[in-house]
Amino acid sequence: MRSRLFIFAMLAPSFALLVLFYAYPIVQNFSMSLTDLSLLGMSRGGNWVGLENYREILRSGDFGHILFNTLVWLTLTSVAIRLGLGLAIAVLLNSTALKRLRMQTIARLGLLIPWATPPIVAVVIWRWLLDPHGVVNKALVGIGIIDQPVAFFANVRTVWPAIVTIMVWNTVPLIALSLLSSLQTVPEELYEAAELEGANQWQVFRYITLPFLMPAILVLGLMSVFWSFNNFVYVWLATGAGPGTLTNVLATEVYIKAFIDFRLGYSSAIGIVMALVMAVFGAVYLRLVARRQLEQSL
Amino acid sequence: MLASSRKVLILTAAFMLASAAALAQSTTITFRFNDTEAEVKGAIDEFQRQNPDIKVDLQRIGWRDARNQFLREAAVGQGPDVVHSAQVWVREMGDAGATLALDGLLQQSPPPNGFADFVAQDLAKGGAGKIFGLPWTTDTWAMVYRNDLLQAAGITTLPQTWTELRQVSADIFKKTGKAGFGFPAGSSASGAIWFLATSYWWSNGKALIVAKADGSYDIGLTAEDIADCMTYFKSFIDGGDNPKANLGASDAHDPAILQALVAGNQAIGSMPPNTYKQVLEAYAATNPGKPLPFVSGPFPKGSVTRSSNIGGRMLVINAHSKHPEAAWKFVKYMTSEEVFSKYYRTQFPAQRSLLKKVDFGPELRGFAEQLEYARSWGAYASGPVPIGTLWNLAGRAFGTALSGQRSPQDAAKELLQEVRKLMPQKG
Repeated sequence: MRSRLFIFAMLAPSFALLVLFYAYPIVQNFSMSLTDLSLLGMSRGGNWVGLENYREILRSGDFGHILFNTLVWLTLTSVAIRLGLGLAIAVLLNSTALKRLRMQTIARLGLLIPWATPPIVAVVIWRWLLDPHGVVNKALVGIGIIDQPVAFFANVRTVWPAIVTIMVWNTVPLIALSLLSSLQTVPEELYEAAELEGANQWQVFRYITLPFLMPAILVLGLMSVFWSFNNFVYVWLATGAGPGTLTNVLATEVYIKAFIDFRLGYSSAIGIVMALVMAVFGAVYLRLVARRQLEQSL
Repeated sequence: MLASSRKVLILTAAFMLASAAALAQSTTITFRFNDTEAEVKGAIDEFQRQNPDIKVDLQRIGWRDARNQFLREAAVGQGPDVVHSAQVWVREMGDAGATLALDGLLQQSPPPNGFADFVAQDLAKGGAGKIFGLPWTTDTWAMVYRNDLLQAAGITTLPQTWTELRQVSADIFKKTGKAGFGFPAGSSASGAIWFLATSYWWSNGKALIVAKADGSYDIGLTAEDIADCMTYFKSFIDGGDNPKANLGASDAHDPAILQALVAGNQAIGSMPPNTYKQVLEAYAATNPGKPLPFVSGPFPKGSVTRSSNIGGRMLVINAHSKHPEAAWKFVKYMTSEEVFSKYYRTQFPAQRSLLKKVDFGPELRGFAEQLEYARSWGAYASGPVPIGTLWNLAGRAFGTALSGQRSPQDAAKELLQEVRKLMPQKG
């Protein structure tokens, strides 16, 4: 009994923090989503509307487009590129070629620069680089790849690749450095054994390196998906969800509905939908994908 | 040695006590301003000189975020004491309880010529007739032209109609390779395309929101009217005479557009007078001694008239301000003749008595001419849908059409649907 009380006393502060900073806001947000609360009427409060906000979200002609942007462009595309590029950079940083050239340290330090750059600065830099009069356009016109400068952030075909470029540039160092530290735990004997067996580079990578990296890749993948799905900063700063509503994602829709249209109740409902989507994804991911991979690699 | 150390300590303590006493007596108010700091710094310094017991902290924020930021802060009892607001935001801010009703302060300590001297009084009042803002500046948009580029394209007179404007813009692009009418075509919540579209509709005798004889409000445009306007402005982008990059510019003062005018890469623009003055100053700074190759002109004529909105700004006091009297003193000073004649010269005053004394000069003649055709927001401001919401919806809809994301017809139908949802349902 005493030990139970002791355990409870030790856990109580953490539990209290969890309730205060997680459970209470979630419950408050959910209850707001069942009202028509407006930012202009905070003192009056909102009227109960039940699930009407959720029905409106699902009936909205824009919802499919916004969900597609969020899932496909913002999340899947950027995460896939980040993981692929991060893995490639990690392998390069761990290579003997770089060791021979004594460039490992400088390469790793250089990789930190994009990571250390605040997102707002990253967006400003890339907006300048990708401006019609910017360096990228000058180079592309000079080489002859394009005849006329491209307005990357105003062109419906190039705006999403431009946003994904900024996201990847700013965040791939974290993936690369995390995978690099995992790479360095692979026992050298395995590589030696593989060499003796006559395995080529691709076979070494496929059967030794990749399985060892899989737990790290799964965790980084999951974190990247959560982080990207909920991301607001890059899209809002780069395009304001434009041109038109082309790059509108769920996070920017929450902002627009809450702080431009003042519909706090409706935007809270969008937030709950986002949380539910991620909760389902996380559960499925961990149960079906991660568990199997972890068992295989162990 | 000990004696001199003691003297230093005593003097230091006395100085610190005096400073603390002075600080305790002085009041600090925050003024949030949405244009460039240089425009008002002189006035603020002078106010502080005349009122040594009031310190003014100047904050800056862009127009794009100004309304939403202040409403968020006011909703939780925070925010600056004095806020620079668009005229059309004041009613909704007042009705939301974000701004202080000024009736009492106006009675206690009125401006020199009284409240009646101010323009846009209707926009300063909330639903219950209380006054929530003091009109500060007034302006209207006009067209600005680079004379040299018009001449290079063989154009000798300014375009008078929307059709002529389209033709002139295309001719300039074809004959000189420079942008013709480069307008901001972006879709942000407070984007400039709203003003152009509104002028287009009003000049053709139509309006998005109209007041009916029975006091109710209705939508005054059909989907065809909206699509026609979208198609018109889209034609500039499709024709190349408004660069596609301007789809990423939402404000009249976007650096890309101003720079294009200053550098001679664009022949025609549309903007308020303070932005135009920035263009003139920038040109003069980069071309010292050269005559200014700019002229302004009124908006094009539609089938009925020329039109533009009487715009302007007001100063409002935060309903949660801890220093409303000091804030009011500051607000009154900023609307004084001294400020407009000596310091804040990029804007026109919102008082009839002061407006009569403004010398527009040759470059700003177009703005003076346009003021005769300018009209108030009318039903847009008094109607049931907050004008900020209409502005946002229109900006986004135009953005989808101008960028090619949707056809003008589909974008127009969607805009109408969204506005209709927000109108009171007919019983």
